[in-house]
Amino acid sequence: MAQGILNKIAAGDKTAVEECLKKYGGLVWSLSRRMLRNSDDAEDAVQEIFLDVWKNAGKFDEQQSSETTFIAMIARRRLIDRIRFTSRRISADALDDVMAEPVDRADKTMQTSLEANDAVKALNSLRPEQQQVLQLSIVQGLSHQEIADRTGMPLGTVKTHARRGILQAREFLGLGSLDSTKEVHA
Amino acid sequence: MSDAEKEIMLDLLCDKFVYGLDENESKQLSELGFDAREADSIEQTIAALGLVDLDAEAAMPAHLHAKVLRSADAFFASETSAAAAEAADDELPSRQIVLSGGSGSSWFSWLGWGFATAASVALALVLFTSRGPDNRAGVQPTPTPIPAERLDPSQQRQRLIDSSPGEVIMAQWGKGNVKELEGVSGDVVWSDEKQAGYMRFKGLAKNDVSKETYQLWIFDETQDPKTPIDGGTFDVNSDGEVILPIDAKLKARKPAAFAITIEKPGGVVVSDRKRIAVLAPVKPTST
Repeated sequence: MAQGILNKIAAGDKTAVEECLKKYGGLVWSLSRRMLRNSDDAEDAVQEIFLDVWKNAGKFDEQQSSETTFIAMIARRRLIDRIRFTSRRISADALDDVMAEPVDRADKTMQTSLEANDAVKALNSLRPEQQQVLQLSIVQGLSHQEIADRTGMPLGTVKTHARRGILQAREFLGLGSLDSTKEVHA
Repeated sequence: MSDAEKEIMLDLLCDKFVYGLDENESKQLSELGFDAREADSIEQTIAALGLVDLDAEAAMPAHLHAKVLRSADAFFASETSAAAAEAADDELPSRQIVLSGGSGSSWFSWLGWGFATAASVALALVLFTSRGPDNRAGVQPTPTPIPAERLDPSQQRQRLIDSSPGEVIMAQWGKGNVKELEGVSGDVVWSDEKQAGYMRFKGLAKNDVSKETYQLWIFDETQDPKTPIDGGTFDVNSDGEVILPIDAKLKARKPAAFAITIEKPGGVVVSDRKRIAVLAPVKPTST
């Protein structure tokens, strides 16, 4: 059962490690490649992220978030750190290296569909401009300035759409306080 | 906190979990103050939204899977030893009383910390060496996936085509807007189902890596044409036929066209499309 993996790891159950990799390895690998855009960096990052997962498994609280979201948060923290200190680069050699070694098919059971579906619904519940800004910033990794350049929106408008979109998505997902959402809309 | 300050605080929290903050921004956020529950809920929301369009079929390479398992072994060994050392320390006072009542650094304590230190060094070594290119032959007893046969890019491309006849799309490269590259030929194949594809070129000039790189863009029918999917950068350093795998950063559902642009080293997030090397519009027919 997915909800028990991090608790088992926190209790020192090494057998849960393989289970964790099977369920969330694809998520971490996919997120790393998307955010770093460099397969070598992504490999280093994946190792660091899972070390963070082992270390922080005891902090997981199923009342607060799902395992998928918890692991995605740990992954994003590490990836954001790396992005801020490394330049993005992807070489043909690196791509070839990744593609040349076939993957373990067992890893393909990525358990993110429910959470991803909810996130899509949350995104779709937003105004089109908010959707566009969040898609470009969170999903594609563009900075606010790059989004402004690409869409023609003023920078301040991009920031406002980002903030309001995140707060409304938070409300949709049942994660946040209505007060702050209302306040910034006033 | 005023409404204006609250807006700034929320902006900074959103930025923190999307991009990270620099020193000044962190200081500003700290000075403004924020509710930890507010921050947690924003971070969770952003992490959840970050799952959108994540490639559900992605899987770690087998060698990386093995590395992570090895580092987990080392980590748990380190944790176990540290716990043993802690337990040893807990026992230390009674032993001191019974055995000698003297030294504060008994052999038992040192033994425990010795284990912990050795395990920590082992963990550091695993993490360090696992980043080397030749670590795939590591000899840990961890069960690892059996490596499949290695195929060259040409064979991989053919395997992709053969594996999903009728599903794999193929498009021919045509000229872009760079006169020197008008003679480039070749094709691109792509499988929506496998989220994999290959580019094949003949006549694509070698690029000076210190000045420029090639970058692939995938125009997906489900995406705004202004924001094509970044297919990664690549360099060409040999003559003759070149075959490269496609590494789409987002899930491509129905590619309508592929384009290669020439960009600065490292590639760009947004192309000005001033130098389009080649273009491959997808026709309705499949292979």
